[in-house]
Amino acid sequence: MIILENAIADGKEKISHLVHAVKGDLNYPDTAYHLPITYAITGMEVHNASSALEAFMKAGENLLIGAEILVAEQEGITPEKPGYSGFIEDAVIRKLGYSLVDGSILGLCLLLGTPKSVDTAAAICRELQEKLMLTFLSGSVIKILTDAGVKVGLDLRLIPLGETSIKAVHFVDILARVAMMFGGVPPGDVNRLVTYAAQRAKAFVIAFSSLSDEEIAFVDALRILGIPIIQMGAYEGEEWQISSPDAAVSRGMEIRGITVKITAIPIPMACSPAFEGKSVRKEEMFVEFGGGRSPAFELLISRPAKEVTDGQVILIGPDVDQMQEGTAIPLGIIIEVAGQHMKKDFEPVFERRIHNFINYGEGSWHVAQRDLIWVRITKEAVANGLQIKDLGKLLAAKFRMDFETLLDAVQVTLITDPVRIEEEIKKAHLIYAERDERIAGMKDEDVDLYYSCTLCQTFAPNHVCIITPERPALCGAITWLDGKTAYEISPAGANQPVEKGTLLNAIPGEYEGVNSFVKKASHGEIDRCVLYSIMDAPMTCCGCFEAIAMVLPETNGVIIVTREYKGDTPSGMTFSTLAGTIGGGAQTPGFIGISKSYLLSERFLQAEGGIERVVWMPKHLKEEIKVKMGELYSHKGYDTLFSMIADETIAITIEDLLPYLNEVNHPALTMPSLL
Amino acid sequence: MNYSYSSGWPGTIRSVTIGATAEQGGTRVSSYQIGGDTDLSFINRSGKKPLIVYEICDDISLWPEVVRNTCGDIASDPASWAAYAEKKLQADCIRVNLTSTRCQNFTNFNAISDTITSVLESTGLPLIIEGSTDPDIDSEVFVRCGEAGQGEKLLLGTAEADRYRSVAAAAMAYGHAIIAQTPIDVNLAKQLNILLRETGVSDDQIVIDPYTGALGYGFEYTYSTMERIRFAALKGDSDLAMPMISAPSDSLTVKEIRESENPDEIAILWERATAVSAAIAGAAILVVRHPGSVQPVRDAIDSLWQGSRSEVEDGA
Amino acid sequence: MALKPLEIYKLLPKKNCKECKEPTCLSFAMKLAQGKADPESCPYLDEEAKLLLSSQTRAPIHKIVIGMGTRSFTVGEEYVFYRHDKTFYHQPGIIYRISDLSPEEEIQETLRKVRNDKITRIGIDLQVDGLAISAESGSAKRFKEAVTVASEGGDIPLVLIAKDPAIMEAGLFICGNYNPLICSATKETADAFCSLALKYDAPLVITADTLSDIGILATYCTGKGVSKILLDLSGKNCGEFLARSTLTRQIALARTALELSHPVFLVSTSHIMDDMVTGIVKFASVIVTPPLSTAEMTTALVLRQNIYTDPQKPIQMTPGLYRVGDPGRTSPVFMTVNFSLTFFTVQGYLEATRVPCFLLIVETEGMSVLTSVAAGKLNETVVKEWIEKTALADEVDSKIIIIPGYASPLSGRIEELTGWKVIVGPRDAADIGKFLTEERT
Repeated sequence: MIILENAIADGKEKISHLVHAVKGDLNYPDTAYHLPITYAITGMEVHNASSALEAFMKAGENLLIGAEILVAEQEGITPEKPGYSGFIEDAVIRKLGYSLVDGSILGLCLLLGTPKSVDTAAAICRELQEKLMLTFLSGSVIKILTDAGVKVGLDLRLIPLGETSIKAVHFVDILARVAMMFGGVPPGDVNRLVTYAAQRAKAFVIAFSSLSDEEIAFVDALRILGIPIIQMGAYEGEEWQISSPDAAVSRGMEIRGITVKITAIPIPMACSPAFEGKSVRKEEMFVEFGGGRSPAFELLISRPAKEVTDGQVILIGPDVDQMQEGTAIPLGIIIEVAGQHMKKDFEPVFERRIHNFINYGEGSWHVAQRDLIWVRITKEAVANGLQIKDLGKLLAAKFRMDFETLLDAVQVTLITDPVRIEEEIKKAHLIYAERDERIAGMKDEDVDLYYSCTLCQTFAPNHVCIITPERPALCGAITWLDGKTAYEISPAGANQPVEKGTLLNAIPGEYEGVNSFVKKASHGEIDRCVLYSIMDAPMTCCGCFEAIAMVLPETNGVIIVTREYKGDTPSGMTFSTLAGTIGGGAQTPGFIGISKSYLLSERFLQAEGGIERVVWMPKHLKEEIKVKMGELYSHKGYDTLFSMIADETIAITIEDLLPYLNEVNHPALTMPSLL
Repeated sequence: MNYSYSSGWPGTIRSVTIGATAEQGGTRVSSYQIGGDTDLSFINRSGKKPLIVYEICDDISLWPEVVRNTCGDIASDPASWAAYAEKKLQADCIRVNLTSTRCQNFTNFNAISDTITSVLESTGLPLIIEGSTDPDIDSEVFVRCGEAGQGEKLLLGTAEADRYRSVAAAAMAYGHAIIAQTPIDVNLAKQLNILLRETGVSDDQIVIDPYTGALGYGFEYTYSTMERIRFAALKGDSDLAMPMISAPSDSLTVKEIRESENPDEIAILWERATAVSAAIAGAAILVVRHPGSVQPVRDAIDSLWQGSRSEVEDGA
Repeated sequence: MALKPLEIYKLLPKKNCKECKEPTCLSFAMKLAQGKADPESCPYLDEEAKLLLSSQTRAPIHKIVIGMGTRSFTVGEEYVFYRHDKTFYHQPGIIYRISDLSPEEEIQETLRKVRNDKITRIGIDLQVDGLAISAESGSAKRFKEAVTVASEGGDIPLVLIAKDPAIMEAGLFICGNYNPLICSATKETADAFCSLALKYDAPLVITADTLSDIGILATYCTGKGVSKILLDLSGKNCGEFLARSTLTRQIALARTALELSHPVFLVSTSHIMDDMVTGIVKFASVIVTPPLSTAEMTTALVLRQNIYTDPQKPIQMTPGLYRVGDPGRTSPVFMTVNFSLTFFTVQGYLEATRVPCFLLIVETEGMSVLTSVAAGKLNETVVKEWIEKTALADEVDSKIIIIPGYASPLSGRIEELTGWKVIVGPRDAADIGKFLTEERT
């Protein structure tokens, strides 16, 4: 057992000694990068022993530079034998870098040393190839593999660098060149080199046994570039990660955050968005789940990475071969996901996709959500070999494919066991309740960031919605949480974070950050956006608002008109007339386009005194919000207020409305004047 | 009374280089720097005259009939077609559309390298290369394109939101510029530029293609999108401050041309109207396919350029 | 900056008297804000308020009608620099110019072209708008004769082009009652031309060397009582026009120089098509050109239609059953929405496949596939409705219909309601060819 600490110390000394003894010219053929590692780290263009030594000393006796100098001298004297590449020219590196950038290669791996078992080494190479890694080999591992019949070469993505393990230095000079060619890393900028290596060129090393002290010291120096060294027991010390041979590759990929792309769904059923609308009729179904006929639920939860095994599907209970045709069976779908960038807030958003994904199956169908789901699979699909477990595989694959950047691992547990399902449903209920409470309770003060939405800018080029926890987008489709999730999933998309900045005025809701954001997003057209006001710099509108709130000066109040209401209003204008005037990105004091749910927010009209301002709304809207409005304001004693709001059955003209408001003593009449 | 209008444009359109002469490490006889505008198109000549590009292809069977009939044999070989475009048509650049890659199960990647190499030899004009549109072969196609044109500062097309990596890689590996195309949507154009930047492409390597719909078949959407992109860029949005290209692909197969008694006449008019409108909206590169279109478009651009504000002094 | 509705409301009497024909003062205020009402309609406004309102609320470019009857056309009343900010409201009138030296038959032939030549696109007839007689003979008598020929029928709007007021007067004597466009007054002839314009209440073009001079002349003519003015921004070439027209529109919208708030006139000086294109995209209201060939006319009219389409109201096709090629009883049936762009795109790709087929267009109020699916406008009911209205079942042997890829969520419901088998087609029309090949194998 070699002790790393000692070997590294000895190796350093030996390398230093050897570097001092180097003589003559040092030139690699067909490269614009001189001695690439030296060039990248020091910026010096080294072509002979004396400048080499100078560079080595200048860089504090950097071992990567040291190793390069030694190998450059060696290859200058004795070129590599056939079957080994030695230094690889720029033109080929350019191509390799291309593959790294375009995603055909996911990362880089270096294998060096002497493997104890040729089968182990071959298995590792095979795994790396399957996982789209580019592998460099140096040392006796090469001959051991080729003697056993394993084919190596550039097009096989197994590149044999040199007979001795120290030739692994070419792995590093390739990395250096890729950084300078593609990463825009200037020669001599070590910090950027390290950053590039850490972020873009995902590499790791698997070290077999029998490395010399110099080789150990040199390889260890790679850790500065963020490159982990994985070993399988030949070395002692914490510097290198230990792993069993069959887990070495996954370990390396895990540490570097390299995930394999899923491209296919390995089940005997076709899957495509084209099948989304197909339903499964009773005559066609093999069995069904949920829909009131049996217990069923779905749940998606995020977990820490070590608790999730990617692609794993567990079935608790019977599969199709034990089910009777035409019956209703329990079904629990639990999807556990892990990802560096995954957040708890995304859970409900991802959970909604279970519906789409199951419907993509040609022989599967799904409606509703949570514990109301109803799922069916067809007789035809089952006859073709579909099993319940396959639904799990479908979900695991689709989640990984569609959320590549966010999810690193997805595992699915399906429950068809009638006893077990009862336990799990109870747990699921707790989680649903917790989620509901979280969203319901969110206040604008609780967060530092609001979110913008520019989805409607095709029709209203200067319009931007500012979405807060208590004010959803005016189209009614996007809540603050949706905006946040959308931003985190697609940072360059239509939803961007808005820094609130300094609070300028609490009751009307004016923030410096919001103002400057709106000014920029509207190309300078709008200077201020006061969030809870209808009179002072209200939010702009596009055209897809669910309702319009507008001031009715004679009443000192506000009326609400909805898209569904086609009739006349006391303003003398219909919804469509109003929509035509206030839309298109304009900021029109006295008029705002809103979502219906905003009516139920305490922030609605906060600047002007709140919900007491509302004097009229269409009857259908009253019916829709009656209950929720009652809940919201009952503790404030506003039950009576609601009955004071007129509708089209009470008055359609201002002449009829005013007397009514006077009669019921509507609070708006005595509030401060709006104009 | 002297009339003037202060538009308050804080932004500038970036400059992109297309073509490398010997001093710049290539073999082109000319090199262009497009962009640099600080105002609307042609106003005050703050930018450059739009480039007039003639488009050829390597598989004529997929090309508009009116062009096939007019060009005849010259179109059967990209190299001679390119030479013709340079000498006879006097185009500023040539766009080589690798239509051969459109066929099912394309595998003849070596032909791609050969075609580009032979075109580079037969003409000294800077080249725009339009590669494959199939993500399955993109990787192979674009590495060949990039490599064959190394050092020549090609303009490589086309990167789209769901398939941009290979074009980006070729641009980065071999020093070319990229065409970034989105379906007539300002926000999507911005998003793609950000994606490209995150991949490592620098902003001065990007040309925006908002996708040019044919005149009469959606062109107004393109026109307005170009105006919006230019406006946003001049207002300071640096994610959109790149030059634009107008390269219609469905223009010459429209009904009005196919059913005309004199398809050449109307084909040239159709391309002229499209190119001039696009130039006014802000396009820095105008692509045409009918050989008869190059000179008319040039005449139009010259007229527009001549009359710019610096000659028309307010009140003078 | 234009006044906003509530700012305007504050200036109004707030009586809701309805004498302006609006139900409330607020609705009157909103109309004023859009420039769609006249402050004069309110009997209770004082002069100061009226003045403030009329300058602030009228359209930045005056509205002018040219010609009379069904072929008359309206120009001006524009509010934006970019069509995408709202829309361009009144497309430019395209006028064929002919010299008074031309023989009678030629004038008649040109008149016939203006009257009859048209192209029909998406169910709309597109034509040019008028005839211009240019006084090149130098003879009032000759000009008068030419105008007489041009006035035959009295239906086609006329533009009279003469430098000499006496010659112009001779022409106006014939057609002055038909609201022709008088072209044009210069600084020297301003008085005479203004009198003529006032006498016949006809719109007047004014011409000067520089934009500055045009402004001065406009102010002068307005002072003389002429309210219907067009600014000749022609210049030496289309580039000059572009520069002038850009500046003029910017200033008119900023409302900083009322003398430039008039529609724009352009007479072709460069190549016909270049002037036409520049004029159409950059705010010309009247474009005078030599007569166009059929190809030139088609190109110009299509461009004009495109640019002057309201971006927020996409053109709709009439729903129904369309045929691509000559489809028979075993031909495929495709279905899509009545948004014109979708129609043309799909039709184009279907034609390219050279496979004859049916294309069923259903009513979705011009919405695209994605929008209409999201809005619920494209649904199983509307598909059923149009299958029945077009008696589609009688046209083909098998009841199979191919729907757009993005309409896949509807596939099951369409099948259930209509009894037709639904095949989900590609999401991108460009894949139709590939789709058909695969379907047939």
